[in-house]
Amino acid sequence: MYRKPGRGRVLLLVFLALSIIVITIDYRAGSGGILKTAKEWSVTVVAPIQRGFTTVSRPVGDFFASIGELGDLRDDNKRLEEANEQLESENTQADEVFEENERMADLLDLQEAWPTMESVAARVYAPDPGNYNSGVYIDKGRADGIAPNMPVLAPEGLVGKTLRVTEHETLVVLLVDTNFGASARTKEARDTGAVRGNGVADPLSMVFVGKNSDIEVGEEVTTSGLDEIFPPAIPIGEVVRSEIQGGETSRTIDVDPFVDPHRLDYVVVLMPEGRPTSEKSVAGED
Amino acid sequence: MAVSAKDARGLGGLSELGLGRAAAFAGMLLLAVAVQSTLLAQTTILGVIPQLVLVLVVSLAFLDGERVGTVVGFFGGLLIDMLLPGVIVGLTALIFTLIGYGVGMIRYMAPLDSVWTPVLTVAGGSAIAELGYAGLAVIMGQRWVSFEETIKIAGLVVLYNTLLTPFVFPLVRRVADKFRPEKVYRW
Repeated sequence: MYRKPGRGRVLLLVFLALSIIVITIDYRAGSGGILKTAKEWSVTVVAPIQRGFTTVSRPVGDFFASIGELGDLRDDNKRLEEANEQLESENTQADEVFEENERMADLLDLQEAWPTMESVAARVYAPDPGNYNSGVYIDKGRADGIAPNMPVLAPEGLVGKTLRVTEHETLVVLLVDTNFGASARTKEARDTGAVRGNGVADPLSMVFVGKNSDIEVGEEVTTSGLDEIFPPAIPIGEVVRSEIQGGETSRTIDVDPFVDPHRLDYVVVLMPEGRPTSEKSVAGED
Repeated sequence: MAVSAKDARGLGGLSELGLGRAAAFAGMLLLAVAVQSTLLAQTTILGVIPQLVLVLVVSLAFLDGERVGTVVGFFGGLLIDMLLPGVIVGLTALIFTLIGYGVGMIRYMAPLDSVWTPVLTVAGGSAIAELGYAGLAVIMGQRWVSFEETIKIAGLVVLYNTLLTPFVFPLVRRVADKFRPEKVYRW
């Protein structure tokens, strides 16, 4: 026997009203308020499960990530199969350790480029669960001195900035996110503008660059240091298109970011004003 | 239309959710969002993550009706909203609430014994959710990815969600059956 339909209508109206109230609160309160606490709680509750899965799944995930490149891999695979069999067993673990060492060495180099700034290295444990925004969660938070709006770097260059911080986790908004922006400068022409994200699939846009600028394809774009978040000279990407479209007063410039948002592992969070909290996280370094 | 006492009891959807049942649903939601952002985020189709939470919402709405669909849809969507870096919190909650209710109502008309019904319901629900979310976000003034990218993402989410359904739906049914209050006789 079917239950009579329609009895859930009141419930639907209640929850639709709740959704609209939440949207309104979010619009009005901005980054603070009751939702901030709710967001922090959500991250804190989900994080341990995510970290558990990531620890178990990372090697498996790396394997599946290659499926997209299967066509090329098939040819390579044939050639490598024989050699691989011999080396596989002894190399698997050694490679892992070697790669990790290399990445850490790169990170140290990177840190030396900003010798006056404090920084903390962190590992990405999960991306955000959506497809339209671009964020990743890292395994360091307030306890390590991280606060919102701090620059985040990888060995290749700028990753993004910290957005929401809990005690032991931080949500980093990536430079490809549509809500991301940073003031930028080209290395050769020294023209300044701002870089904005257009989603993972599309290059960044460099905007507010005058028509008379002579920015050329292939030029490196770095942060300019003119905003209040990013120090100057952090590599962002390379110009892949620079043209004036009919009648426009500014150039259309596309920038391909150096950092691959799909392959983030270790990152560094820069603390331009030093570590705001106690020396808790660096205890043992003395 | 007059609201009868029976209609007012529509809020009884909450009491119908006993504590154990609510905990089971909450556990499933947390697990789904964690799996979605870890295991499934590493096994994407052309870089697109499936929306496992939506598959769960549709499955539960299909199995337990529009009231469970509405409640689980709201909280599932809200959980996703809380974890996204996007600025409009509550948008996914709004969309998932509507999907949960809609699926719960559709099942009165659909052949329930067909294995294709939940699969097609997930496909339809995913398409509406993806395009509805993108459309509302743009209307509300969000900077958005390109139109082509939106269509690509929506299409791949529908495909991936649909592919997941034959695996996820039986699992959800097992848990839902275990926690369903015995007094409620459904089919």
